[in-house]
Amino acid sequence: MLKYTFGRILSGLVTIWFIATATFLAMHAVPGDPLMNEKATTPEIRENLARKYGLDKPIAEQYVIYLGNMVQGDFGISFTQQNRKVNDIIQDHFPVSAALGILAITFAALGGILWGALTALYRNQLPDIIIMFLVILGISVPSFVFAALGQLLLVNINQWFNISFLPVAGWGTFSHMIVPSLVLGLGTMALLTRLMRSSMLEIVNEDFIRTARAKGLSPSRIFFQHQLRNAILPVVTVLGPQIAAITTGGFVVELVFAIPGLGRYFVQAVQQLDYTVIMGTTVFYGAFLVFMVILVDIIYGFIDPRVRLK
Amino acid sequence: MGTHKLLEVSNLSVEFETYGGVVKAVRGVDFGVDAGEVLAIVGESGCGKSVTVQSIMGIIPMPPGKITGGSAKLKGSEILGLDAQAANQFRGKEIGMIFQDPMTSLNPTMTIGAQIAETLKVHRGLSTKQATEIASELLIRTRIPEAQKRLHQYPFEFSGGMLQRAMIAQSLACSPSLLIADEPTTALDVTIQAQILDLLKELQSRDGMAIILITHDLAVVARTAQNVCVMYAGQIVEQGSVDEIFYKSAHPYTLGLKLAMPSNVSQQNKKLEPIPGSPPDLFSPPSGCGYAARCPHAMRICHKENPPLFSDPREPHHAARCWLQAPGAPKTEGLHQLHLIASHGE
Repeated sequence: MLKYTFGRILSGLVTIWFIATATFLAMHAVPGDPLMNEKATTPEIRENLARKYGLDKPIAEQYVIYLGNMVQGDFGISFTQQNRKVNDIIQDHFPVSAALGILAITFAALGGILWGALTALYRNQLPDIIIMFLVILGISVPSFVFAALGQLLLVNINQWFNISFLPVAGWGTFSHMIVPSLVLGLGTMALLTRLMRSSMLEIVNEDFIRTARAKGLSPSRIFFQHQLRNAILPVVTVLGPQIAAITTGGFVVELVFAIPGLGRYFVQAVQQLDYTVIMGTTVFYGAFLVFMVILVDIIYGFIDPRVRLK
Repeated sequence: MGTHKLLEVSNLSVEFETYGGVVKAVRGVDFGVDAGEVLAIVGESGCGKSVTVQSIMGIIPMPPGKITGGSAKLKGSEILGLDAQAANQFRGKEIGMIFQDPMTSLNPTMTIGAQIAETLKVHRGLSTKQATEIASELLIRTRIPEAQKRLHQYPFEFSGGMLQRAMIAQSLACSPSLLIADEPTTALDVTIQAQILDLLKELQSRDGMAIILITHDLAVVARTAQNVCVMYAGQIVEQGSVDEIFYKSAHPYTLGLKLAMPSNVSQQNKKLEPIPGSPPDLFSPPSGCGYAARCPHAMRICHKENPPLFSDPREPHHAARCWLQAPGAPKTEGLHQLHLIASHGE
């Protein structure tokens, strides 16, 4: 298990290096540079600034300097926000995005497993048909539509009852998180429901379920002990990539609900060619996702003994 | 001994509803098993032998499966068509069952020990600790080396033969009076097959447990069984003791199976003779004898009317479903002639 974990971490580091390099090259391939938008730009000032930030050096050298700083955990200073370190931006705003994302993936995973198991249990009956209809809706409608609809619904509910049932937008308390994370997790929940359903239906026909029935186990014991655990495996497998989907999807939801997450800075930085912020947020997100995928792999090892011991 | 047989199955009929129509998989099967008896049910693929025993256990998928008639009595009480709760009073407790493919018949995410202990916990209300202790004893009884270590391993860490031993250990957990072994050796290689059969026989003679052994392998039958039912196209076509079936075959199908079986008698330099053709379509079973189309001795009546079971009054357990056994039928070379008039069934 230790060797397995170590191997996963090592390949994760290589992935992060690759992400950093690819982002660096892509960023420099875009025409222009961060100093283009400066208002007072005489050629002298530009040159001075370029020298100060090291932008006058050849790209290869910039790359080496950048990697060197990155390894030490320093992402540099933002070009567009005065005196703000990229590390500080991440530190201030990532916890917000992370809280939202983790809550969303929790909703999605629990909901997906629950609804999936339920639809399999009531296969081709009314509950199955209703849930599967909603699932198609959840997969095909983009999250910003749900975000807007969710807000509209909240406004109406708050008006009807003349109380603030749940806040419509903003950030601060747990009640602020509920609706945005539900909206954010909805697509993933729908996907996981489908996966869980088909996985459950496949397991029902497995030989070991027949054995369990021949052993005289009660239907509920067979369901929980033998079916559920084996059916969850494919769901756990896609959970890693789905965390990626949720965090990237988070940018839009953060915008609609006016949540001060990292997503806004990420998008802004690309528009303004703020080199250090682009690099910082991308590498950080990349590292975060790699870490989550490794975590999922390790969890998978706990659920499925075949992975653990090979 | 009570007046009842351990298991008495009569006129069992099972159908499967498929997109192509209704398959009549089992068409009126009668047999009985005494305590301590080893009964083999033989037949080729698709003849209904597995469906027969799985229907008795109530583990055929329903739907599409449907038990359309008959009864199965365990120690005199009906066990056919019970709901899950009632059926679990005998499943795993009175009747244990092992299956063809041990590789897929155990839960891949549970340890072997936990799976054996589960049966004991459910049926006998034991604690995990007590159940695991008994599970360890069961592994020793089924000759699994290093039982203590094996208890905590998962199915993928076992070989096929070891898994089948673990399956047997699991099915024996509650000391059932009947073990149903559904092709227990088909997925295993020959040397392991012999070991598993020896183990079954040993456990059977020690505990006095009855066994229903489903197989398509006549060599396995000769090695283990006392009595035999030969099934064809969803019906029993011949039944009797092993000696009667092998040396006094009274049905052309049994004879055909024997000719298709390799022997190791060196002088007999004979060719194996396959039975030509294939079994009838059970979507619409023929009105006559199911074997008539492949039978070298078929007469006109064979295509028209399904024969009843003819049995010999002097050997009442030996019966064959064949018109050649009817009084006045022509004598056929190689076929044992039952001396009879009495007929029953059908």
